[in-house]
Amino acid sequence: MDLAPRQRQRLTGYLFVAPVALFLAAVVIVPLGSAVWTSLLRVRGLRSSFVGVANYATVLADETFWHGLARSAAFTASSVLLHVALGLALALLLAELRTARTALRIAFLTPWMVAPAVGATVWLWLLEPQFGVVNYLAQSAGLIGSPKAWLGEPLSAFASVVAVDVWRGVPFVMLLMLAGLQTVPQEQYEAAALDGANAWQRFRYVTWPNLRYLVVVATTLDVINTVRHYDIIGVMTGGGPASATEVLPVLLYNTAFRGNRFGEAAAIGVLLLAIVLALVVVYIRITRIDRDAGDAR
Amino acid sequence: MTPPSALRTVVLWAVALVALAVTLFPFYWMLNTSLKPATEVFASPPTFVSAHWSLDAYRTVLTDRPVGRYFVNSLVVALGTTALSVLLAALAAYGLTRFFPRGATPFVLFLLFTKMLPETLLIIPYFRLMSDLGLLNTYWALVLAYSSFALPFSVWMLVGFFRGIPREIDEAATIDGAGAWTTFVRVILPLARPGLVAVALFTFLIAWNSYVWALVLTTDASMYVLSVGIANMVGEYRVQWNELMAAAVIAALPVMVLYALLERHLVSAITAGAVKG
Repeated sequence: MDLAPRQRQRLTGYLFVAPVALFLAAVVIVPLGSAVWTSLLRVRGLRSSFVGVANYATVLADETFWHGLARSAAFTASSVLLHVALGLALALLLAELRTARTALRIAFLTPWMVAPAVGATVWLWLLEPQFGVVNYLAQSAGLIGSPKAWLGEPLSAFASVVAVDVWRGVPFVMLLMLAGLQTVPQEQYEAAALDGANAWQRFRYVTWPNLRYLVVVATTLDVINTVRHYDIIGVMTGGGPASATEVLPVLLYNTAFRGNRFGEAAAIGVLLLAIVLALVVVYIRITRIDRDAGDAR
Repeated sequence: MTPPSALRTVVLWAVALVALAVTLFPFYWMLNTSLKPATEVFASPPTFVSAHWSLDAYRTVLTDRPVGRYFVNSLVVALGTTALSVLLAALAAYGLTRFFPRGATPFVLFLLFTKMLPETLLIIPYFRLMSDLGLLNTYWALVLAYSSFALPFSVWMLVGFFRGIPREIDEAATIDGAGAWTTFVRVILPLARPGLVAVALFTFLIAWNSYVWALVLTTDASMYVLSVGIANMVGEYRVQWNELMAAAVIAALPVMVLYALLERHLVSAITAGAVKG
């Protein structure tokens, strides 16, 4: 076969990209299609029958879904808020320190490197009702009178999983913020210092305007990652007690693998996907806007 | 900037050290507990340092419990995922940056989409698919599943690295008579080595730390990976916390060491991947 150089060039390009495209089609697109299809089925053991949108009707009419959605919103909002606030604060702090910066950065990143499921297991031991060290420390500090079953009551269980997620999630935001702080032009700080700006004013008028975009990007990314996170809650409470920590991914897992209701679980999953997709669109729009702005400058 | 006053430095360090203590305390407690004999684990008040520290719990989990087996499973699956993902990602990144400089954007957006899918949604069809194919409780099931979400990351990051390699280098190789494949293997891959190392490391970490997929795709205890095996030990009737923490150390230590050694590579890869489009 005789091909023009241009065509040959294209063909070569396709050959390099094809393995990934085919692989992703097989391991992502097919399962995704299958998940959407499953959401239209009633699955009973090995038999399944097409029921249209009945699963969605069931899920949307069910109190548990709305409860899960509200839990997800509360969990994501509190975790992300704390990730970003503490991550930014830590980054600003580390940027101020002159020595041992790399060592500190590595140390602070540790919670993020360890498997969430393993970190959560360690926290189960810390929070253990009878012999856990958290109870001992809280009692010694006079914060609580008697040992508390942290994961046994709805409110403290919810606070506990948020705390563990914050412990794990802060380093990632800190890392992004540290990278962002390095891009702030040093001359702007010098100019501010010449004008006699104090620390707050330097943050308010130099650091923040330069960092704002990155804070928005990091927040969006973190919301996407937190709203679909399963591992920590899955290991620590499995959604309990009294569904206090049953966020959507956990509800999905429980519906599928504990309740054996795959059709309904898939419907919950598709609804969760819709939420994530909406956030992804926001993320793309934000990053795109900046790219255009960057070109214009 | 004004020279830092001594007082200010002291205050900053004090805050940093308090934050560090809170961050690292769980790891200290994990290590401390893993070194204690079973009797001391339930001592009240708990001991922060002990004269009876020993490696007994490690010996027990590695001989009487299948933690060694979990470790091997984790290693095989993580290495398999890394090999598969980095190979495919390097091919794609080369093809995208060299042949479709503009057409790459839709594909990269598609990658962004796939890496943000909720994994709990995908485990349902994966579970059904893998059981239909008879692949439940195999390394293949996990390698395929992990690659499905590691690969978009890998391509995404490598595209960034490959863009940084000047096109003139390719053109020079072409003038010397090298075909696309030769250029890729002999010229581009060696130049992209720091990027490949970072991506391989990141892929390894993702696979090593993954949990919910393995939870669903393995039901046979001999196929558990560390994260699943450890989380399952919590469900036992009477939890041996010192053994459990020893297993946790065994799971956490390799990633900590790898990470500390290659921190610089990894940090640049992560920040670039998250921020750039």
